[in-house]
Amino acid sequence: MVTELDDRTFDAFIEDNAVVMIDCWAPWCRPCRLIAPVIEEIAAELKGKVAVAKLNTDDNQGIAIRFGINAIPTLLVFKNGVMHEPLVGLRPKEEIKDYVLGL
Amino acid sequence: MSVVIIGAGPAGIQAAIHAARAKVQVTMIGRTADSAMYGAHIENYFGVPGKADGTEILKVGLTQALRSGAVHMDENVTAMERSGDEFAISTESGLTVNAKAVILASGVSRRKLNVPGEKELFGKGVSYCAVCDCNFYKGRRVAIIGDESEAAAAAELMTGYAAAVFWITAAPKASGRMISNAESAGAKIIGESLVEIKGDGKVSGIRLSGGSYLDVDGVFIELGARSSSDLAMDVGIIPDADGTVRTDDGCRTSVDGVFACGDMTGRPWQIAKAVGQGAVAGLNAAAYVRGE
Repeated sequence: MVTELDDRTFDAFIEDNAVVMIDCWAPWCRPCRLIAPVIEEIAAELKGKVAVAKLNTDDNQGIAIRFGINAIPTLLVFKNGVMHEPLVGLRPKEEIKDYVLGL
Repeated sequence: MSVVIIGAGPAGIQAAIHAARAKVQVTMIGRTADSAMYGAHIENYFGVPGKADGTEILKVGLTQALRSGAVHMDENVTAMERSGDEFAISTESGLTVNAKAVILASGVSRRKLNVPGEKELFGKGVSYCAVCDCNFYKGRRVAIIGDESEAAAAAELMTGYAAAVFWITAAPKASGRMISNAESAGAKIIGESLVEIKGDGKVSGIRLSGGSYLDVDGVFIELGARSSSDLAMDVGIIPDADGTVRTDDGCRTSVDGVFACGDMTGRPWQIAKAVGQGAVAGLNAAAYVRGE
């Protein structure tokens, strides 16, 4: 399951989960629409290992500014509250899974 | 009862010949000079002696398509949308053409420029999608890189967000209308090419072919015309991550009435395959508009 986050729920989600991946997207972004079903699949396949969420950067610009997001799709990844290098742009599913599991 | 073919390379031209000979109205939209075959030497295509001139073969093919009854518009498509049972295809000169069936045959487009700094600063100020990322550049300074319609559209779009928009285009090839729209919206055209993107952790500026340096926060690389995978997405086809549009053996995509052929359906990127698929797509699109 992919949890929908906003500026208010963002921090708690990272605190409550050991490994977190957040898909930052916007409605007009076609590559974001392409990656969305892949993110859903990863969420199902890594259930119990990685908490997967998405954040609409159009509605939640505070987070976009705070994390310096200037291209979407961006996958923000955190382990034990520490942010790791984000994955920007379209990436193959296996590459995303390997990266998150390898944190 | 009409078919629009987007792309005027070997796949599009062969599709035009077969669809027009099947007695449906055919409009082919695309610049033959944009085909990868244009200016190339051809050695591995059936029936060609020695090194054949790709440009010449395209010219002969285009003449065949026109003699078969197809109409050719030598310009690029900027958008495609579904309109009832038909598709509305917009071109860079501002025209809209309606069609019952569409054949996508616009090949694969180059997206990367391969200049120093581009790879390192991707996602840190370098973007390949102005439509996706425009909102992050409100009040900032950006450069748009590219000579064709996609760059012109990006330059115009960014003027609605950024404080300053520089369109870097050494040889503008977009239509006069699109260039004028970008300029009147406030984009400043600079007739040079990009040499290097500078920045430490994020983009700080660009170096141009004339030796000058420009302070910018964002660099939007928008090469070529609207890519075939973007056009496919306009009507709800989801391409693979590398832009390939999947088809069945009959060149049918996942959307009824939309066919695809040539390089955009995946490797091998060969004229022989483009022509073969073009014939299949042309015949099947003609049958589709006749309700067969």
